[in-house]
Amino acid sequence: MRTAGVLDAVRGLGLHDHVCWPYDDPADFRRRAVEFLADGLALGQRAWYVADSDDEVMRGHLDELPGAAEALERGALQLHPIGETYRSGQVVTPADQVAAYAAATDQALADGYTGLRVAAEATPMVRTEASLEAFCRYEHQVDRYMAGRPFAAMCAYDRHELSEEAIGNLACMHPASGPDAAPFRLYATSASEVALAGELDLDSRERFPAALRRAGLRPIGGELVLDASELDFIDHRALFALAREGLRTGSEVVLRTALSSAARLVELLGVPGVRVEAA
Amino acid sequence: MRTGAARDHVGYFHETAFYRDDDDFLALVVPFLEEGLRAGEPTLVACGAANERLLRAALSDVRGVTFLPGADQYARPTEAILNYRRMFADHAAAGVAQIRVIGDVPHPGTGAPWDWWARYEAAANRVFGEFPLWGLCPYDLRTTPAEVVDDVLRTHPHVARPDGQHLANPGFDPFGRWPAWRPHPLQSRPPRVELLDPSPAEARRAVERVCDGVALGEDERDDIVYAASEAVTNGLCHGKPPVRLRVWADAARVVVAVTDGGPGPEDPLVGLVPTEDSASGGLGLWIAHRTCRDVAMTHDEEGYTIRFTAGVL
Repeated sequence: MRTAGVLDAVRGLGLHDHVCWPYDDPADFRRRAVEFLADGLALGQRAWYVADSDDEVMRGHLDELPGAAEALERGALQLHPIGETYRSGQVVTPADQVAAYAAATDQALADGYTGLRVAAEATPMVRTEASLEAFCRYEHQVDRYMAGRPFAAMCAYDRHELSEEAIGNLACMHPASGPDAAPFRLYATSASEVALAGELDLDSRERFPAALRRAGLRPIGGELVLDASELDFIDHRALFALAREGLRTGSEVVLRTALSSAARLVELLGVPGVRVEAA
Repeated sequence: MRTGAARDHVGYFHETAFYRDDDDFLALVVPFLEEGLRAGEPTLVACGAANERLLRAALSDVRGVTFLPGADQYARPTEAILNYRRMFADHAAAGVAQIRVIGDVPHPGTGAPWDWWARYEAAANRVFGEFPLWGLCPYDLRTTPAEVVDDVLRTHPHVARPDGQHLANPGFDPFGRWPAWRPHPLQSRPPRVELLDPSPAEARRAVERVCDGVALGEDERDDIVYAASEAVTNGLCHGKPPVRLRVWADAARVVVAVTDGGPGPEDPLVGLVPTEDSASGGLGLWIAHRTCRDVAMTHDEEGYTIRFTAGVL
């Protein structure tokens, strides 16, 4: 089971977890990255620290990580300047980037680790509209990979550099995020299953259809099944967004939720192509 | 060809009538129905139980009359519009020259909230305008409050009299003003909650907290939370600041009022019919009209207010 929801700390995350961590204070980010990587090392994962700095500076960021020098020495902990990790340059190519992390995960497994864990300061990857769009798509694709393979990541973004809107667009593609990042989350629960959690209202009027489009959900057997057991509120606009997604993918959308209001709205409005099942 | 007073009329011939006793009621309605039956026109009756009994006893032959239980047909204006439009469309598709309907529209004298029925009576001229329809809405002066009579006179272009006359109504001005505001009894007390410029999520949580102490069914609770969320959303998107949420409650009911500083929706049909136009926010209000016990709107010095009730009225 992956960790999902709004978190106030990054401690204790598992082999498949994927957390978005927007931050105001770089020192706060570094402290959390150290915690996240230390947990990974304790779980036997190879740990990567990815940031827009040189080795010397990045090494300094990890001073507080117990056994950092020794872990760096034996290759359990690795420093990766961001330009080297995201080789495709300013605009990420989602499939290529997922493949690169898949290869790194396989290598970590081959080297005797339980998987790979990355703490990345990814702000440089989303500074333009085009790169942000591509990265949002990538976030969902890599999320699917992580749900099925022992790869965990903490994606940190600088609130001083990015708009609240950009942060929200990124955060909603993660199963877990820090406080005040996004009102809903669309994420993978396995390599083929997707979950929808949180609240879908005015705040999501544009972001939710965009997130659906960016996720590029693929129907299975004519159905697009969403595990919405952690969904707290959905308005009719979001239900119609799901209906459009069903139309676009030629499938019936199945929303599995405990919210009886969702079923009533679908019935009242005759939302086409959406079936609500009790979760 | 259409028959009777609506002979040369195109579209909806919307007529009211007032009566003070059963004889007057029958003098108004029996000829209306019998003329329709003789002409072979679809003839519908959606009256309260007492008036339906009177009509069944007075008509020489009720075959050909479609009796719709008034309490069902007039459960709420959105459903009345949906059901009537479905029936009228079927008759129109069959090529009938005229459809006749007589209906008892609910009001406080019969135990129902009036605001949304006043807006229904005003909207009816448009929402049924495409049908060759003669609708007679008789009101019983023994039970109808004076301000309801005012709204009825404003919203009906035609008036029938028990002596058989059919007159044009010089006071017809359906959208001249909104119905008179009747504060809910709970509104005489200070609200349990008052929020200034809440987000829709904050509004939902505030209403949920108030609902916790009230005997409401799960659906009733969901419905008023949804209505509050939509009203705040509309206030933020289409109204003007400040947006105020106020919630009153006692053991058996919850009243939510959302006020914004703007002029309110322009279209008096808002909430009574679904609008495709997402800019109007009309679908959210339509949902509220289909789920809450009462929806009322007013315009005053604070701006535009919409009010919803859950639980007992």
